[in-house]
Amino acid sequence: MSIAALAPPRSLVAELTYRCPLGCLYCSNPIDFARSQDELTTAEWQAAFAQAAQIGVLQLHLTGGEPLLRDDLTELVASAHACGLYINLITSGLGLSGSRLAALRDAGLDHVQLSLQDADEAGADQVAGARAHRRKLEVARTVARLKVPLTLNFVVHRLNLDRLGAMIDLAVGLGARRVELASAQFHGWALLNRRYLMPSRAQNDRAEALARAAAARLRGVIEVAFVRNDYLVGAPKPCMGGWGRGTIVIDPAGRALPCQAAASIPGLEFANVRTHPLGAIWRDSPAFNAWRGVAWMKEPCRSCAMRERDFGGCRCQAFALAGDPAAADPACELSPHHDAIRAALAEPSENVEPVYRAARASRAVSVARTSGKN
Amino acid sequence: MERRELTSPHPDAARWRPRLAAGVRMRMDPAAGRALLLFPEAALELNETAAAIIRLCDGRHPLAAIAGELAREFGADAKIADEVADFVAAMRARRLVE
Ligand SMILES: C[S@@+](CC[C@H](N)C(=O)[O-])C[C@H]1O[C@@H](n2cnc3c(N)ncnc32)[C@H](O)[C@@H]1O
Ligand code: SF4
Ligand code: SF4
Repeated sequence: MSIAALAPPRSLVAELTYRCPLGCLYCSNPIDFARSQDELTTAEWQAAFAQAAQIGVLQLHLTGGEPLLRDDLTELVASAHACGLYINLITSGLGLSGSRLAALRDAGLDHVQLSLQDADEAGADQVAGARAHRRKLEVARTVARLKVPLTLNFVVHRLNLDRLGAMIDLAVGLGARRVELASAQFHGWALLNRRYLMPSRAQNDRAEALARAAAARLRGVIEVAFVRNDYLVGAPKPCMGGWGRGTIVIDPAGRALPCQAAASIPGLEFANVRTHPLGAIWRDSPAFNAWRGVAWMKEPCRSCAMRERDFGGCRCQAFALAGDPAAADPACELSPHHDAIRAALAEPSENVEPVYRAARASRAVSVARTSGKN
Repeated sequence: MERRELTSPHPDAARWRPRLAAGVRMRMDPAAGRALLLFPEAALELNETAAAIIRLCDGRHPLAAIAGELAREFGADAKIADEVADFVAAMRARRLVE
């Protein structure tokens, strides 16, 4: 891909911290997150936001871990707003009081995406590994009261898919403008817990049909968006809208990544915003150029009509399931590695011990990996 | 089908004064010099006409007034009223305008 043709990045995903009060079974954060401790300072984040705006970024998604654990969040929002960025806070809600939200709103926060684990309290708290659901509902009401536009996000899987209708009703009742029913993507902790979380095909089909009907019925009231389970669909998701095409992720320690799971691929080196300007990272860094465009593709992607639409799927999933980040995403039925998906779907969900996302488990996993093969 | 849904009329079209929905912002793209509509899921590039319509979606202008302004500004024919209505209805279906 020639430099002249390179489009600017349009969105920046800022993972402000990996600290989090919850331990969701489906958390997509890297399993070795506890390694990353040296968080960027306020001034370093502010510099990154300013550079991002300068090179064409329009949207800023503040996420983590739990972004509310950053005491400087209001300050960060204010400076991102001064750069003209559209600011979306992606949060569990824990730690969001009315006064803090008012301060964030007044500093220029445009939108809140609040995650809930279920419509049922016991189910929700079981997945989060903490008593959080009631507090989250309180937060949702606060967001509505302060008239901050709200999206509710439910990660959906075997344990909660049968309550999809109740989730949609809850979102309507809470005054959300949009409800996202996002099938758990199997990265990070969700991959560790895949057997536990994988829905059956029948269960997923029922839920999809229900979501479709609700979307039509509630048109003009709330936007109902169902993100499909790529294992069950048999086709890959157009991951990140293409590698290095529109999004930059910055992790808590300042590494710039083409996607939130990119660090799971061995051999990629990531430039840090502490030492490299963001524009140069976007344009020139080996990590961003590794799978940009379509020239790197192998068969069957290379000659496939879908290659500019799904970009061959997810590089991280190709590595995780096929051992080759340049392979077609095994979720694709045309992939020679699609057996890995079939095998995963055939695994029983019974007698599985779930693993909660937690610093201690993360350190244990990291140690096991370091002493093991990678 | 899709088309009909897109253009389904506002329940009180005669009195409707469209405005941008909460959480939707218009700004200029400094790089392309073009207007953009920003919301959490995406950024839409607006052409000159679309930008002129959105600018008038300020909660003060009824639909007919927006069409009138557009006709004045762009000197267009009678079709413009339909085009404005279609565009604003499509924006409403996406919950960008209310
Ligand atoms: C990793 S979380 C960080 C922000 C905050 N702690 C929260 O949970 O909202 C970012 C978003 O990704 C969603 N998410 C987490 N794990 C996911 C998975 N495996 N698949 C799909 N979405 C996931 C969360 O629900 C949340 O909306
Ligand atoms: S998904 Fe759950 S565990 Fe992961 S960062 Fe968000 S709240 Fe924390
Ligand atoms: S072969 Fe590759 S490009 Fe074609 S649909 Fe499958 S993943 Fe996408």
